Amino acid sequence: MADKKNRYNIRDHAATYWENSPKWRRVSMSIAFIAFFYALPFLNNPLVNTPGSDFQSVLFYPVGMYVLMAIGLNIVVGKSGLLDLGYVAFFAIGAYTMAILGTHTALNFWEILPIGIALSMVAGVLLGTPTLRLRGDYLAIVTLGFGEIVRIVAVNIEAIGGPRGIAGIPTPPDLFKAKFTILDPKPYYWVLLTFTLLVIWMVRRMAARRPGRAWDAIRQDDDVAQLMGVNTLKYKVWAFVLGAAVAGAGGVLYASQILSIVPDQFNLNVSILILACVVFGGIGNLWGVILGAALLAFTPERIRFLSQPRILVFGIALVVMMNLRPDGILPKKKREHFDPNWKSVEESGEGEIK
Amino acid sequence: MSEKLLELKNITMKFGGVTALSEVNLHVSKGEIAALIGPNGAGKTTVFNVVTGVYKPTSGEVNFVGQSVVGKKRYQVTKMGIARTFQNIRLFGESTALENVVTGADVHSKSGVVGAIFGTPRSRREEAAALERGMELLEFMGLKHRAGQLGKNLPYGDQRRLEIARALATNPQLLLLDEPAAGFNPAEKVALAATIRKIRDAGYTVLLIEHDMSLIMDISDRVAVLDFGQKIADDVPKVVQNDPRVIEAYLGAPADAS
Ligand SMILES: Nc1ncnc2c1ncn2[C@@H]1O[C@H](COP(=O)(O)OP(=O)(O)OP(=O)(O)O)[C@@H](O)[C@H]1O
Ligand SMILES: [Mg+2]
Repeated sequence: MADKKNRYNIRDHAATYWENSPKWRRVSMSIAFIAFFYALPFLNNPLVNTPGSDFQSVLFYPVGMYVLMAIGLNIVVGKSGLLDLGYVAFFAIGAYTMAILGTHTALNFWEILPIGIALSMVAGVLLGTPTLRLRGDYLAIVTLGFGEIVRIVAVNIEAIGGPRGIAGIPTPPDLFKAKFTILDPKPYYWVLLTFTLLVIWMVRRMAARRPGRAWDAIRQDDDVAQLMGVNTLKYKVWAFVLGAAVAGAGGVLYASQILSIVPDQFNLNVSILILACVVFGGIGNLWGVILGAALLAFTPERIRFLSQPRILVFGIALVVMMNLRPDGILPKKKREHFDPNWKSVEESGEGEIK
Repeated sequence: MSEKLLELKNITMKFGGVTALSEVNLHVSKGEIAALIGPNGAGKTTVFNVVTGVYKPTSGEVNFVGQSVVGKKRYQVTKMGIARTFQNIRLFGESTALENVVTGADVHSKSGVVGAIFGTPRSRREEAAALERGMELLEFMGLKHRAGQLGKNLPYGDQRRLEIARALATNPQLLLLDEPAAGFNPAEKVALAATIRKIRDAGYTVLLIEHDMSLIMDISDRVAVLDFGQKIADDVPKVVQNDPRVIEAYLGAPADAS
């Protein structure tokens, strides 16, 4: 314990530096950081290039898409402690909304996007309200079932293409001169990055406020949370619905880029992979989850030149990593403040209570 | 003084074959410090669990300011004005002391997820108020210097006090304390007694489970005694102390030394 506290800790130092920085420095650092990610597709560096696949495409899918989904799933699994094994279902609902409305109506991507998000959220409420009373393993099994049901339903409805899925999904209309075409993944990546930044912003706001405290309480001790006045079911459903919204948005965008979807793309593996991103990165820690998802999505592409053995290499690397850092690459760790005057709200007279 | 805040009528609580409470009648009047004592396994904690909605009684009624508590959700009971601490400390160990208390203070906020995302004026106002209330209560319980430390890393005594602060943060009319002095040394017990009095003087009503007789005799206005799930006495401390049935209950099954 003691030596851990004294050990030089990059993260604590970085956090302290950030907290002590004046506003202008924070703003300029954020802008530089964000600008870097918008410029990322133009990066041409042998270290990050993905031989055998196109780096710009890889940035959109899988890297960016995994990051977005992992952030969404982290609200459910990391923040509230609800094991959801059917997360892909919401991604599928978003993608199918885009595919069906895109091919059958005159609505464009931007008009379908809110519909896809809304439908995912509705599915989240419908699934969450009855099942989130269950705990732990039971919830995992029910959500796993839900994920499979959505896929199987898609396979069996001929009107939406059955097992052949839907092809000919329209691309989004031009935006600020950026053309969305199958040949150029950059505009898709920029839209995805914008979604992701929005979601990060929302998650951070929630985490610092009442919903964050409610989820912390629920994750740590559901019974006590209830007894301290937290409407636990309501906040669990919210976590579920917000996670669903993120996956739904991802699904709509994904379908508009890939142009044709089949139900088998939305199988259990996707749910498991996204969950692996969350766990690998550091469950509950936003930055860890982002890093974990980026690494898990990028590495198999980067080592594609190994062809067949690459999945084996990847698997071994995962096992080694999880042994070295069982709580993830950047584990969730709350910083403690020992300063007695920390956050002192204006002095209240002599410790009286009203 | 005689206005009944909490009233249990003929409460029976069975767990399978075990009858933890049998036909218990009990009340707490507004503004008093009432105590609930009895040997180990007498059913004291079960009373708290029935009152706070953790268990639904097998039969009987629980009324709080004239409203039935039975069948209410736990968070609704807390909202109605009953808060508690736990015999085995159950803090949110991975949250800071301040966050623990503010979680309690959140009960009376109206804004939730949407307010938090958009930073609505109401949300900002409520956040600030809850934070201030949290700091106020930490200070009241002598924990201000612990605000930024994790619940699990606090010394034992501070954890117990933090539980009281967290319960008070919900602005309860009735505060239920389950063995708040367990594991305390005599000096800490004296300080706790003073704190409980201060809480009462601030307008809260307290129902307290305790094993330490001198503490009970010192601070309580009224003492109810449970033995094997039945109430065997209920009176001012002096009378209860000399009640032969109470003495027998304790001699027959001596309470632990704490
Ligand atoms: N959930 C439960 N399931 C089964 N039996 C229970 C349950 N809760 C309490 N009991 C039983 O009810 C009886 C009363 O327990 P309770 O915890 O209320 O006692 P207590 O008076 O608080 O004792 P102590 O002083 O040891 O805390 C005990 O026999 C206990 O085993
Ligand atoms: Mg007990």
